[in-house]
Amino acid sequence: MNDTAIVTDSVKRFKWVGTRPIRPDGVPKVTGRALYGADLKLPGMLFGKVLRSPHAHARIRSIDTSAAEALPGVKAVVTSRDFPEQKFDYIGPERVAVNFWHVTRNIMAREKVLYEGHAVAAVAATSASIAEEAARLIKVDYEVLPHVIDVDEAMAEEAPLLFEDMITRGVEPAPSKPSNISKRLEFAIGDVDAGFQQADVIIEKTFKTAAVHQAYIEPHACVAKYEADGQCEVWSSSQGHFAMRALTAQIIGARLGDLRVTPAEIGGGFGGKTVTYLEPVAATLSKKSGLPVRLQMSREDVFRASGPTSGASMWVKIGVKKDGTIVAADGVFKFQAGAFPGSPVMNGCLCAYAPYEIPNQRAVGYDVVSNRPKAAAYRAPGSPISAFAVESVLDMCAHEIGMDPLELRLKNACHIGTPTIAGPKHAHAGYAETVQALMNHPGYKVKLGPNQGRGVASGYWFNGGGESSATLQLNADGTVLIATGSPDIGGSRASMAIMAAETLGIDYNQVRAIVADTASVGYTHVTGGSRVTFATGMAVVNATKSAIKELCARAALIWGVEADAVVWEDGFAKPASSNVGDFKPLSLKELAAKAAATGGPITTSAGVNAGGQAPGFSTQFCDVEVDPETGKVTILRFVAAQDVGRAIHPSYVEGQIQGGVVQGIGWALNEEYIYNSKGQLDNPGFLDYRCPVASDLPMIEPILVEVPNPAHPYGAKGVGEVNICPPMAAIANAIAAATGLRMTELPMSPPKVLAALSQG
Amino acid sequence: MARIVFTSGFARRYTQGVREFEVEAKNLRGVLKAMDEMFPGLGEHLEEETTVAINGELHETGYFQAVPPGAEVFFIPKIEGG
Repeated sequence: MNDTAIVTDSVKRFKWVGTRPIRPDGVPKVTGRALYGADLKLPGMLFGKVLRSPHAHARIRSIDTSAAEALPGVKAVVTSRDFPEQKFDYIGPERVAVNFWHVTRNIMAREKVLYEGHAVAAVAATSASIAEEAARLIKVDYEVLPHVIDVDEAMAEEAPLLFEDMITRGVEPAPSKPSNISKRLEFAIGDVDAGFQQADVIIEKTFKTAAVHQAYIEPHACVAKYEADGQCEVWSSSQGHFAMRALTAQIIGARLGDLRVTPAEIGGGFGGKTVTYLEPVAATLSKKSGLPVRLQMSREDVFRASGPTSGASMWVKIGVKKDGTIVAADGVFKFQAGAFPGSPVMNGCLCAYAPYEIPNQRAVGYDVVSNRPKAAAYRAPGSPISAFAVESVLDMCAHEIGMDPLELRLKNACHIGTPTIAGPKHAHAGYAETVQALMNHPGYKVKLGPNQGRGVASGYWFNGGGESSATLQLNADGTVLIATGSPDIGGSRASMAIMAAETLGIDYNQVRAIVADTASVGYTHVTGGSRVTFATGMAVVNATKSAIKELCARAALIWGVEADAVVWEDGFAKPASSNVGDFKPLSLKELAAKAAATGGPITTSAGVNAGGQAPGFSTQFCDVEVDPETGKVTILRFVAAQDVGRAIHPSYVEGQIQGGVVQGIGWALNEEYIYNSKGQLDNPGFLDYRCPVASDLPMIEPILVEVPNPAHPYGAKGVGEVNICPPMAAIANAIAAATGLRMTELPMSPPKVLAALSQG
Repeated sequence: MARIVFTSGFARRYTQGVREFEVEAKNLRGVLKAMDEMFPGLGEHLEEETTVAINGELHETGYFQAVPPGAEVFFIPKIEGG
């Protein structure tokens, strides 16, 4: 693809940043040699199998494992009794609000099963078939209970309770009766009621979104080897091996120092692999059997037992003046958390109106449990859901006052200093530039035919910073190894090598970046929140700068001058001035060869707790055609403009944008969980859970808007998530333009569109 | 002097509903210490549960973050991404 970047800052040219070298993980992946979580085989390794609940909601009266344990070849059987009880306490980040009392029950059910697919026991045996047979021999005596799937039904007073003692947090005075509402949140600025009094047009609407799965290609898998001395090694495919270490240690009652987790290549995560399901179970089976154990999910397991993102029920009301000024916005956002508290409803509230300057805003959120798998993060968790509602209502407002929807957004665009609903003011620009990029796109002015329509929408995501580590090793031949603790799900190895090469002033091909295990590099937070290029990139640049300092000192030693008399330029140590002396510059390779004589191996490390991350903004338009006979919506064109700070490797950034848009198209048009009357999932596979495939899609056209972040050495901003926020509303708005019908429930699948068309 | 601001929910839980404070501090360590002196135990809650926006710039709640004179220091709930 050609370079599509629009450089909006003063142009700064780099040698490697902004180029598109071949990805270092490309060859192993396309030749099938990359090793994923399920590929590892250890001598004596056992095969694990998890027994899962057939019921959506049931009390466990007893579990009899004796027949399974007696089966020849079975080496270990575990149930919840093999995991220590955890304290009931919400700790950690508010959105996740990790409560290990819940986490351990999600990994292995205790008193009750809370969704179909909930793990109740696990076995390890000498073959996969023996493990499966043993799992079938485990007798679980269930008392089946009434269940509830839908979020509105789960909030009803008469709904079956998942937890008989759950009192809603965030309500004062505290409710006297338990419910399925785990938490209520409210954020507001200004005076919403007074704001609506200034409006010429007020539009309010209710919306529903379906729970959708991250649909990563690779199912969860891991191998654990627990030694008699309490040391445990885990190999797993995840978005954060340090997070897997911490979660596993807590669940099995081990010390961090006794666990070593090695990351496998990862076949997609999108947020869904920031949590653990299998690692503590595999470690416990290994501890009981004394042998390594591999556990992996089937695709059905993935759908039934690993987190989708929340489905939601929402109400949004927005008031505008005739000139397009938005004067007030109000919304209620009810999110499914799944079987345990912890939906991304807070993010949904905080992101809902974030691209706009609205003086009076309010967002009320509810975190609601129901008999579905526990929700997990999914690409800008929470933000796409509220964006669907808000961006749909904004489109209706624009239509009502006769204003172009991009004009409406530009008129109300946030800027540096605009207050956000949580209180802090925006510190970075970038949103208006994405709107302008689409206004300047020739496709936006192309006339459409019958049954065709154009829709626009925007999105916001915070982006992340936080803790990351990197290590640099200079090899004797002048090649450089960069090791980080960030699993590579979006091209980070290439980006890290680019930033190191740029900082060192050497050829990109001299640098090899790897993802190191928890014993070989410093703590690094998960690959999530669009944080890696920003935060881990800062660690890489800092480690590289330390290496440069050391290289200058080594050159000074060779030349017999003071270290501060040496500078580093374009990959060479040079005298800082002619006063220092007449020395031939020393290359990295020459200095590497002299490492032993000048002090030993050159290796540096850096750890950061990176702050000052800039948020991501995206604005997109799409053209669709609606088939009036079938209700099928065909995407004709999709253009996505995103503020990316500065694209370190533009091909990867474009890939992130295209990937996010495609997932958004699936969310908009087809993807949903279909439950039967017993609360069992009827479509746990890719044949019936309909993700978009290449033949469904036109080329997604990314526009890289570059408004660099001064807090990052190369101006990078997170790019992985915000692109999934606008598509659902953009498509709904396009369908409205094509048909005059406002679709308010996802997915907008052919039967629903056809029903809407037939109702007029 | 820095202006310290909490969300209403956080203020309800930990500062008897008071949302804004003025504190003399050069870095976040100083802010946390001053708030902990006013509300014993609050410093730990802030460290564990919040992200901080210093003049709008988001940071982890780390001691080392500089607090410029007249800064607005806004504590908001921690955010995790996907």
